[in-house]
Amino acid sequence: MKNSILLVFVFCFLFITSCEKEVDYLYEVNPVAVQSPGSIKSNAKSTVEFLTIAWADLFGTQIPQQELSKLNTIYVAFGDKKMIEDRILLNFLSKSGVQIPTQTNVAGDTLLYINNTYKKLFNRDANAFEKYYLKEQIRLNASMTSEVIWYALMTSDEYRYY
Amino acid sequence: MDRRRFIKNIGLTAAGAMAAPYLLPGGRLFAASGLRKVNHVVFLLFAGGVRNLESVQFNDGNLMPNMLIGGSAISNDILPAMDFLPPGPLSQPLQNYGTLFRQFRYKEGPTGHYNGHTVAVTGQYVSTDLNIREAPRNPTIFEYYRKHNSPQQTALNCWWVANTLGPYPALNYSSDPNYGAGYGANFISPNFLISQDGFNALGNPSSFTANEQAAFESIRKFANGNFDQSYTNPSAGITNTTTEAAQLQQFISDLYAKAQSGQFVNPWGVGPSMNNDMFNVMFAEEIIQRFKPELLTVNMQDVDIGHFNFSSYANHLRKADWAAAHLWSVIQSTPGMANDTVMVIAPEHGRNFIPNTSIDSYGRLALDHTSPSDGVSGDQMAREIFCLVVGPPTVVKQGLVVNSLSGESTEIVPTIANLLGFDNNIPASAGIKNYNQCDLAQAFF
Repeated sequence: MKNSILLVFVFCFLFITSCEKEVDYLYEVNPVAVQSPGSIKSNAKSTVEFLTIAWADLFGTQIPQQELSKLNTIYVAFGDKKMIEDRILLNFLSKSGVQIPTQTNVAGDTLLYINNTYKKLFNRDANAFEKYYLKEQIRLNASMTSEVIWYALMTSDEYRYY
Repeated sequence: MDRRRFIKNIGLTAAGAMAAPYLLPGGRLFAASGLRKVNHVVFLLFAGGVRNLESVQFNDGNLMPNMLIGGSAISNDILPAMDFLPPGPLSQPLQNYGTLFRQFRYKEGPTGHYNGHTVAVTGQYVSTDLNIREAPRNPTIFEYYRKHNSPQQTALNCWWVANTLGPYPALNYSSDPNYGAGYGANFISPNFLISQDGFNALGNPSSFTANEQAAFESIRKFANGNFDQSYTNPSAGITNTTTEAAQLQQFISDLYAKAQSGQFVNPWGVGPSMNNDMFNVMFAEEIIQRFKPELLTVNMQDVDIGHFNFSSYANHLRKADWAAAHLWSVIQSTPGMANDTVMVIAPEHGRNFIPNTSIDSYGRLALDHTSPSDGVSGDQMAREIFCLVVGPPTVVKQGLVVNSLSGESTEIVPTIANLLGFDNNIPASAGIKNYNQCDLAQAFF
């Protein structure tokens, strides 16, 4: 009798505990859209905007109206806009008064230099990957001067958009 | 199947295959012949508004002796207005090297310069709603060439050389979604590009070592890889490949070097008579000598002074004539283009019969070009033009003059397409005139 009661008790205990609904724990993260760093920029700069901004970025001053007018005329006189922009930028770079950070800055606080360059030219901070990549390029390649980096970024697609 | 029925079926199948036209993906019935008459075409838009009275009808004598045969001496009253020009560069007038259509027509639409240019390069008349701030709606000959010529060619083979800016840079490609900038021509307005302002803007570029070049290319590639948008056509206009862009950069540098060394000072020995048209043609010759393009269109427009000064209009007509002859002489002295080029010369439109009220110092009244758009009413003289086609004697009928009303502006595009062997590749839906229906075909064997 005593064994029967014990058996019933054990059975009930097992029945009660075994019927507890198992909780499924699901560990996940919220959906995140993957975007490139400059993805909010979708509008191509106009000719005047491009020339004005490039001048301001390189010389730290507003482009004189007469200079802008002349540049605009030359700009429309050739059909391949990428090529002519490239040529205009190269010509800017050869002028006196260009304010590109010197080589010392590049070799100094490289991460700060990279971020400041991105802020200046792309209006945003460089992300971690960009900082890492550029820092490595600067560290490994003696030809990676400040002028080279600025020219590369100013002729990139992102510089042409806002 | 018995032997008799088998042979019969084979025969029917073969006959059907031969007789039934087969529809190609492009909507054409037959495959392109691909037979070229020549490998190069130069289209000289003798533009600015040239009236037949002063050109092929010699109303004031022969103002175009380097192109046309006949006529008397230039009218005495305007003779003092004529600048000095040395003897022409050709041994005989251009007319002898081809066929002259004396009664060509710009049949429809407004007789405006941009309208006329648009018709000339698209092969389709335009109405009054043409927007001068936009590319043409219909595809240009440049796009037809780059899309339909087989094998497809790059923009280095295809040029539009304009003597001025304004709306003209827009003529190197259309807004047609099936064509556009990806098939456009390289455009250049050399009188602006190769100038002091042009040199200041482009003439002294920074240079990089090979290592630096590799460095900035790697950074640019990295930056572009991190960005969703691509700055290409149509925003970026016509796009050349990196290699071709480098060739163009070098070409521009070489032109500046020539300018700096004085090679563009009196280049034709005509002294101060060298006008804007002549310089534009001279730069077109530089392109011809450097790139030997398969298709080049160049314009002149200085005669448009005719709105204000008739005698100056006549003077610039002489210079345009001289420039046309010089262009042909350079083509014939350029290996690869000599004896393998057809040149088509035509104004975009004419000028009115009724003069306006501007009188020049020689007592001549000036001329506008305002023929009513309906193509029939009022003063229609601004629709009367000529067309001269010159080329190798095996291709172009030499010395032929077509005096009857024959040919129109919209025939130039299909004619160029036929000369370069791709006219059959252009879909009928494009709406251009069939070459076989063109009066211009009379000029060719």
